[in-house]
Amino acid sequence: MSEHHVVVDNLVKTYPGAATPSVDHVSFALPKGEMLALLGPSGCGKTTILRMIAGLIEPTSGAIQLNGREISQTPVHKRNMGMVFQAYALFPHMTVAGNVAFGLEMRGIPHSERGPKVQRALDMVKLGHLGDRRVTQLSGGQQQRCAIARSLVIEPELLLLDEPLSNLDAKLRDEMRDEIREIQSRTGVTAIFVTHDQDEALSMADRLAVMSAGKIEQIGTPREIFDAPANEFVAGFIGAGNFLSGRVTAPGEAEIEGLGPLRFEAPARIGSQVNLMVRPHRFKLAAPGPNAFTGQVDSLVYRGQILTLGISVGGKRLTADLHTHAGHLPAKGETVTLAVAPGDVTFLSEAAA
Amino acid sequence: MSRFLWHGLIALIYLFLLAPILVVVIVSFDTRQYLAFPPESLSFGSYAKVFANQTFISAFGRSVMIGLAVGLAAVVIGTLLSMALVRYRFRGREGVNFLILAPFLVPHIVLAVGIMLVLAPMQLLDSYTGIILAHLGITVPYTVRTITMSLMSVDRRVEEAAMVHGATPFAVFRRITLPLIAPGLIAGGVIAFLISFDEATISLFIVSVKVSTLPTEIYNYLEVSTDPQIAALSVLLIAISIVVVIAVEKLIGLRRAL
Repeated sequence: MSEHHVVVDNLVKTYPGAATPSVDHVSFALPKGEMLALLGPSGCGKTTILRMIAGLIEPTSGAIQLNGREISQTPVHKRNMGMVFQAYALFPHMTVAGNVAFGLEMRGIPHSERGPKVQRALDMVKLGHLGDRRVTQLSGGQQQRCAIARSLVIEPELLLLDEPLSNLDAKLRDEMRDEIREIQSRTGVTAIFVTHDQDEALSMADRLAVMSAGKIEQIGTPREIFDAPANEFVAGFIGAGNFLSGRVTAPGEAEIEGLGPLRFEAPARIGSQVNLMVRPHRFKLAAPGPNAFTGQVDSLVYRGQILTLGISVGGKRLTADLHTHAGHLPAKGETVTLAVAPGDVTFLSEAAA
Repeated sequence: MSRFLWHGLIALIYLFLLAPILVVVIVSFDTRQYLAFPPESLSFGSYAKVFANQTFISAFGRSVMIGLAVGLAAVVIGTLLSMALVRYRFRGREGVNFLILAPFLVPHIVLAVGIMLVLAPMQLLDSYTGIILAHLGITVPYTVRTITMSLMSVDRRVEEAAMVHGATPFAVFRRITLPLIAPGLIAGGVIAFLISFDEATISLFIVSVKVSTLPTEIYNYLEVSTDPQIAALSVLLIAISIVVVIAVEKLIGLRRAL
């Protein structure tokens, strides 16, 4: 375990009077410098985990280790963490520089050393010229930057971010997303952030933990999560998918109700019931053949680089994302055939029939 | 036309409400040795007499001292009580809340008798300690109210941010909570001062000669003589209250703090 910078082991939080735990035996570990996203719908316990790591909520049981030390009993102010709150939680009665200097002051750093450190932190988030402003005079994006500078100036052992982008408008969100990622990799700080936005998680994190109902459903790189989801929940939560269930009739082949046979690459016992998924972008236009489904286009959404079309086949709807540069584009009402390679079919689960 | 009538009516109501004060102000400039309206001739003679009256001057000094002590103590006690009531959920919280607000509901004359009966066996009648304790009983409900309101408007996340970034619980209070509730503290303290400075009913039961306050001396004076000095003194007291309230309003905004 020693090579891991942060270790969370069997963390549980049950609120008094609650029937089920909000956080249910959660474990994960991350090496120094990694950025982990806790992703899940609201109420899945992701913020509770973050607050337990910060020390703002006491765990019911379980261990939290930072740099090899057990910290679950350490008081909040001694944990040496930085945290960016959802609504930033800046100190409203202080200037921008005052906010950033606060953590240094609490650590007893003399006034003469604070100034340059504060300036460097403010320069890093491009607020170098606004140090004397009151934080109430800042725009949303600037408050966000100030909150980041306040958290990083103390050179924390771990940076926690609670839905850091949710209070920003769409354009600013993309900008800050890149910027947070850039600052994180430049400073090399280990970071955990909480989000309910899959795009945010996929684009910012080195690894993500997908959560539901207090448990981690899957933890892995964005690519692993997207291409090899561990179960239906993860597959449905991240990205769009065509969910197909059927009975295995031969090795690597299942009879999908209403569609016909579909080949896939996963060991499954003959006669068992399997749940499979095809991502919309895995479908290609093709001539009728094996692993292909023919139907009439009943919906078309043109989205620039991508054309999303839906076809009805045997009472089922299939959705496909086609690249718009890929030659002929079907029109509404046209009959098309969508094909998928067996290797592009995601195997989700199997149940004995 | 009806608009004109309406405005006239409002003006009349205000005149009726302010008439006593107006009469007092006018009478304070009278030169005769008894209170009567309207005055025959006007002068500042009564004011000069007030400033020459050693009883009033020393009672004023005591009232200010008692008021300051009460204001300060009521703010400290009010802050501690408010922190407990707003931040902690404990058994009997509702009961404490009710006890603190009870003095609002009980007539001062009833409180006065009660306080007197409690202070007498402790030898605290006619002592600074006694009068300050008695005044705290009626002012703490006000400071708890203003400070509670301020505390509830403080964002907990801001305090949490301070904690996470290294502030001890005491540092959080001193550097974050206290500055954020300062307007409530000042407003509460000023109100407590003004109530203490004004309080007559309870003071009359507690004090006799040693620590008599200005209101009790006014009462004593009225028992033996009724000359315009009282009116002049009243005008001075009104002026002091107005100055204090305006100063606070300019400084922090009393309405916001309340």
